[in-house]
Amino acid sequence: MKKGLKMKLIDLKNIDFPTKKDEDFRKIDISKLLENEYNKVKEYKLDFNTIDKSFQTENELVKINKQLESKTYELKIIKSQEEPIVIVHTLKEDNTLYTNDLHITVEKGIEVSIVEFFVSSCKNSFYSINRDFHIKDNGVLNYIKYQDINETNNMICNTIIDLEEEATINSSAFEMGDGINLNIYDTNLDKKGSSLNLYGLVSLKDKANSSTIFNTTHNEQETYSDIKYKHSLRDSSKAVYEAKSKVNEKGIKTKVFQSSDTILLSDEATIFAKPHLEISIDELEASHAATTGSLDKNQLHYLQTRGIPKNEAFEILLKAFENEIFDTITNQKAKELVKDFKRGDYV
Amino acid sequence: MNNEGFEMLNIKDLKVNINDKEILKGIDLDIKAGEVHVIMGQNGSGKSTLVKTISNHYDCEVTNGQMKYKEKDLLELDTSDRANEGIFLSFQNPIEVPGVNNSYFLKTALNEKRKYQKEQELDSMEFLKLTKDELGKFEIDKKLLQRDLNDGFSGGEKKRNELIQLLILKPDLIMLDEIDSGLDIDAIKTVANVINKLLEDKNRSLLMITHYDKLLSLIKADHVHILEDGKIIKSGDYSLAEEINEKGFKNETN
Repeated sequence: MKKGLKMKLIDLKNIDFPTKKDEDFRKIDISKLLENEYNKVKEYKLDFNTIDKSFQTENELVKINKQLESKTYELKIIKSQEEPIVIVHTLKEDNTLYTNDLHITVEKGIEVSIVEFFVSSCKNSFYSINRDFHIKDNGVLNYIKYQDINETNNMICNTIIDLEEEATINSSAFEMGDGINLNIYDTNLDKKGSSLNLYGLVSLKDKANSSTIFNTTHNEQETYSDIKYKHSLRDSSKAVYEAKSKVNEKGIKTKVFQSSDTILLSDEATIFAKPHLEISIDELEASHAATTGSLDKNQLHYLQTRGIPKNEAFEILLKAFENEIFDTITNQKAKELVKDFKRGDYV
Repeated sequence: MNNEGFEMLNIKDLKVNINDKEILKGIDLDIKAGEVHVIMGQNGSGKSTLVKTISNHYDCEVTNGQMKYKEKDLLELDTSDRANEGIFLSFQNPIEVPGVNNSYFLKTALNEKRKYQKEQELDSMEFLKLTKDELGKFEIDKKLLQRDLNDGFSGGEKKRNELIQLLILKPDLIMLDEIDSGLDIDAIKTVANVINKLLEDKNRSLLMITHYDKLLSLIKADHVHILEDGKIIKSGDYSLAEEINEKGFKNETN
């Protein structure tokens, strides 16, 4: 696309954009994202090397950035380190379609924590990002994504996870923004002992909309996946949790777990939670669950009987619900950074 | 200031519904500062409903009567204001609140009370010192404070945690709803020690529900009331409790 021209995502060629007819998108309407007009396309630059590597996935949305001639950056971790690597993405320009592609490789036996913050101060902009995590034998990636874009901005994040033998990813996602946000995680667990832990807190207000789709396939024995998300939804916000985990014939002795817990804080807030397991073998451990409710009135009353005013008691209980996901961050410095995050500090 | 004899709680013709069913059918009760009142009665007589109503439980709908606490209309105060005015109900089954640290909860509750009473809030160090001093007097283990509020506590630990709250919040009207149920004799002695110590302050009163004579032998009651079918059918001194323990409720109700 030539700079200076108005463009829409839907006009991009050779991308088979998902529609409501697609099973995963029955409850996710991305037409607004596709039809929105932008004045310019801008690659969000990172101070890393670039590589010529494509993203291997059936997710068509990954193609957006390639079509927009976005470069692919590479971050290779060759040494374990306690200090987390922090990347802050700050979108500032109005009516802009930002792109960013990043491959992260964690070498054998290395452990690292990476935190990515996504914030915006602009209007009517869109951020399309692709992430590819390749974690080699016995490597550990603790990845934290904190998204807090403002209400007129939208974001799509496609993540592909490739784990080698005994490799682990602990991903903690915080979807706190006020715009429309779509996340797609694709993982094939092809190597013995690989471990996928995807945790998330989706805390929304006003008309915020956040959807997350997980496609996980266990193709090898003794693989592990745990997809645990919590949602706290106020006003007329809406969240979607669609997790599909498949265990193929080779996936004996795997463990596969999915859970979605939601607190609806208004009559207008909506959750669509669909945990889904497809299992072809007997010898495994599996569970899936989705709960929806409001804050426990007995707990609320108990706190009030000790002198804590209703509003404060409410906030304390909500924090208690949400804290479980903050506690999935094992790196203390990263945890402090995330817990202390304020949008105003970055934009 | 010694307010002994000051009218702490005054209840007149109190009628309360739970789920549209009348449970309390006209209660009159006066508690003066420094007094210990015991409510006895068979299961379902309305004992717990009475103390729950005083602390403003959402289940209890007051349909008639009045409740005055230190000359304030209790019905005009919400739950947290009642607590900050000095009303404390120790629950039969204290609620578990996973994810809320016990120490954080207690410090928040204490500072809310101090704020309400226009006193300066305590910082973490001052709060730690206070808990160490208060709990040390009764050899109550502080470890409970490090855990989440009542989360996974045994029955005894939950009751001990209520005592910790009593010691720190120092309410004026203490209401104990069967705090002795499920406790062994040593734990009951600790409860009695804590309550008796708090009652040394004659500005404080106790309203206690119990079935168990052991606690009654350790905490001296000034007034004993027998509740039946939502009404106080008999009041007396400690000898009434002794009579009930000996003969049961049957003689009172016939």
